[in-house]
Amino acid sequence: MMAEPIDETMVIAWVDGELTPAEAARVEQAVAADPVLRDLAEAHRAMRARFAAAFGPIADEPVVVPSAKVVSFAEARAKRMRHLWVPGAIAASLVVGLFVGEMERPAGVRDRADALALAPPLAHALDTQLSGAAGPVRVALSFRAQDGAYCRSFSAKHLDGVACRTGDGWTLRYAAPAATPGGDYAQAGSDPARASAIAAMIAGEPLDAAGERAARARGWR
Amino acid sequence: MDAFETALVRVLPRLRRFAHGLTRDPADADDLTQRAAERALKARGQWQEGTNFDAWAYRILRNLWIDTARHRQRRDKVIAPAEQAENVGAPGEAEAAAERLFLMRAMDRLPDEQREAVALVMIEGLSYAEAAQVLEVPEGTLTSRLVRGRQALAKLLSGGE
Repeated sequence: MMAEPIDETMVIAWVDGELTPAEAARVEQAVAADPVLRDLAEAHRAMRARFAAAFGPIADEPVVVPSAKVVSFAEARAKRMRHLWVPGAIAASLVVGLFVGEMERPAGVRDRADALALAPPLAHALDTQLSGAAGPVRVALSFRAQDGAYCRSFSAKHLDGVACRTGDGWTLRYAAPAATPGGDYAQAGSDPARASAIAAMIAGEPLDAAGERAARARGWR
Repeated sequence: MDAFETALVRVLPRLRRFAHGLTRDPADADDLTQRAAERALKARGQWQEGTNFDAWAYRILRNLWIDTARHRQRRDKVIAPAEQAENVGAPGEAEAAAERLFLMRAMDRLPDEQREAVALVMIEGLSYAEAAQVLEVPEGTLTSRLVRGRQALAKLLSGGE
């Protein structure tokens, strides 16, 4: 190995940090002494940096969360369901929650430890709590979607969203990381993306207090 | 979240970047990433704790792409590649997206095996050993594909601009 001339493979491996210290030192010396090798190394270094710079930001981008009735992704694609982009780790954990919910219980996200999107306290709040009531989960409003399902918009500790009652569970239809004071996101209740998601779903007007009580009495069916 | 889910969540953004490198199309990349995540969850029983999760996940996405690409090839031959447009928001994003599309087009010209080697090492920053593990080839094979891919790209990028 040590006797081999420095070829382009060696230069590239050097640029990639793949050589042992002894090999790297040898290439470094050769590059310093030879303008042709120097240009070659510089070209490969620049190209690697160029690709890393161009594609790097993609890995910092928010991860897609299917706007999630918890249906299969094949179905989501077929229906061209709108995909939501929400930033950060919460979004990513939602993806997993939704996936897991889908695979094990096709009916929707339920009160299960692995259904991260809707933790039991959240589903419980959606079942029982009236809009405007104080608590760790706050329900902002209830309405009927165009498909007939009852839906509720809510804010929880880490999650703002809209969930609709389907089958025997609540299904997340819109989600975003919870507004945090001083954070980058709009305050709960004034999230324009959520407002437009609701506007796209709602049939008629939001439920008033009486309508909400009646819906709750029927188990939101 | 258990260890598996944590690992998947952590690798998803990078999987999506790798998908951009492979598919050379932002919409296809998102689609592929979703399907890979789905497949990874279904196959979670096959992952052994303690082994390299990222390599496993990359491999799933790459194998899925191979299956997809095989189906797509016929279509791609008859339909001219459409001008791609990415959503453009923040200042500088247009330039960044244009640069990325330019590099993607250069990668279009590489044979698949060189492109995936380039994507794993130059874009994903994997070591040769890791990339070879993802592609399930010996490290020497990975190295020679990588070198040929980079030589071709250097030529394309210096002559193409």
